[in-house]
Amino acid sequence: MNFEWQVISNNLFFLMGGLVTTFELALIAIAGGLTLGILVGMGRLSTIKFIYYPATLFVNLMRTQPLILVIFWFYFLMPLILGRPIGGFTSAVIAFTIFEASYFAEIIRAGIQSISKGQIDAAYSTGFTYWQAMRYFIIPQALKNMMPSLITQAVVVFQDTSLAYVIGLREFLRSANVVDAREMRSVELYLFVGLVYFIVCFSMSQVCKKLELKKGNA
Amino acid sequence: MIEIINVSKWFGQLKVLDNVNETINKGQVVVICGPSGSGKSTLLKSLNGLEPFQEGDIRVDGISLKDPKTNFIKLRQKMGMVFQRFELYPHIKVIENITIAPIKVLNKPKAKADKKAMELLERVGIPEQAEKYPGNLSGGQQQRVAIARALAMEPDIMLFDEPTSALDPEMIKEVLDVMVDLAKSGMTMAVVTHEMGFAKEVADEIIFMDEGRIIERGTDRSFFENPESERAKEFLRKILI
Repeated sequence: MNFEWQVISNNLFFLMGGLVTTFELALIAIAGGLTLGILVGMGRLSTIKFIYYPATLFVNLMRTQPLILVIFWFYFLMPLILGRPIGGFTSAVIAFTIFEASYFAEIIRAGIQSISKGQIDAAYSTGFTYWQAMRYFIIPQALKNMMPSLITQAVVVFQDTSLAYVIGLREFLRSANVVDAREMRSVELYLFVGLVYFIVCFSMSQVCKKLELKKGNA
Repeated sequence: MIEIINVSKWFGQLKVLDNVNETINKGQVVVICGPSGSGKSTLLKSLNGLEPFQEGDIRVDGISLKDPKTNFIKLRQKMGMVFQRFELYPHIKVIENITIAPIKVLNKPKAKADKKAMELLERVGIPEQAEKYPGNLSGGQQQRVAIARALAMEPDIMLFDEPTSALDPEMIKEVLDVMVDLAKSGMTMAVVTHEMGFAKEVADEIIFMDEGRIIERGTDRSFFENPESERAKEFLRKILI
């Protein structure tokens, strides 16, 4: 079997364009998913029924759906709701943010629960409000405990973005697919794609390992 | 200063406070003791609204805790609290533990809050620990920081919830010394504790609780020398071996 690796270098610029889209999508989905996830995770711990039930419904609904279906929903439903077409990228961003938020929310919920109730009593006893107590004491401590799980989830999000392929978004995998259709070099292209995913995800999980070791020492 | 009027509280079916009445006047030190599960910590935590109660009322300086308009945030600024397990914030330094509430809640300038915090650390005898993290301090030192943290808000009342129960025996005295000092300076205090030496030295009144009720109250002498109830006698026998 003979490999023709020039297919990679010849199309490197195009492939890197796809990788940039993948990174953009992943970063927005992680930032948005985490922000929304913090709010939903806090909602899951709320004693107010109007907050607890919608948050719980949201988490259970999202976590019981395949991601690919959620991507379809937003791609086909959003134009109907808005009355105008939205781009593949926008619809993917919305789908990923909302879907990943439900996973981040459960990590956040567990993280907040890992902090003793005494900490919030202590904050209350010196006149802090609920939101201040969360911001200054509970979330900073919880985030530290949750860091390994959050990074693992971020790695998953990065891999998940390849599913945006199905709505024709030209992210990294789709770019390779486009080149393959023209050059017929599937093996080289998909090995290269796999290698890039490996490098990115493996280095992220190494960072995670370092953080866990640091936590163990503290 | 604090009036507790017919307060009752249930956890589900279990009645944890049963028609409690008590008045704590300005400058008084009231010690609350009793076997575990008697409701003493619950009573203490209901004073600053950390534990809600179903019946009765508590008034702090005339402000009713049952009034829906009562601002608990404001109320708690005037009531310092010290916990059994210290509850220092482990992710920030000792000095920041003390200054964060004055800075964020009272909008005090940082320099002023720092100065006050150092004075308080001086007062509780550990100014050299200011830049450390709570986890690097002994239990006794942590509890003294917790007292300084509460005092930084310049409260009118201090609540202590078994402040020495989680400490090794050799560290109890250093915390009690700070508390005795505070009592002698005229601070109004409600203290849940089994430290009868402390009670004898500074308490104006001792309340003995069992099964959610106050079953005996007295000044130190009357309580220690001839308790009336069998339950209090038995309790004293056990802790004053």
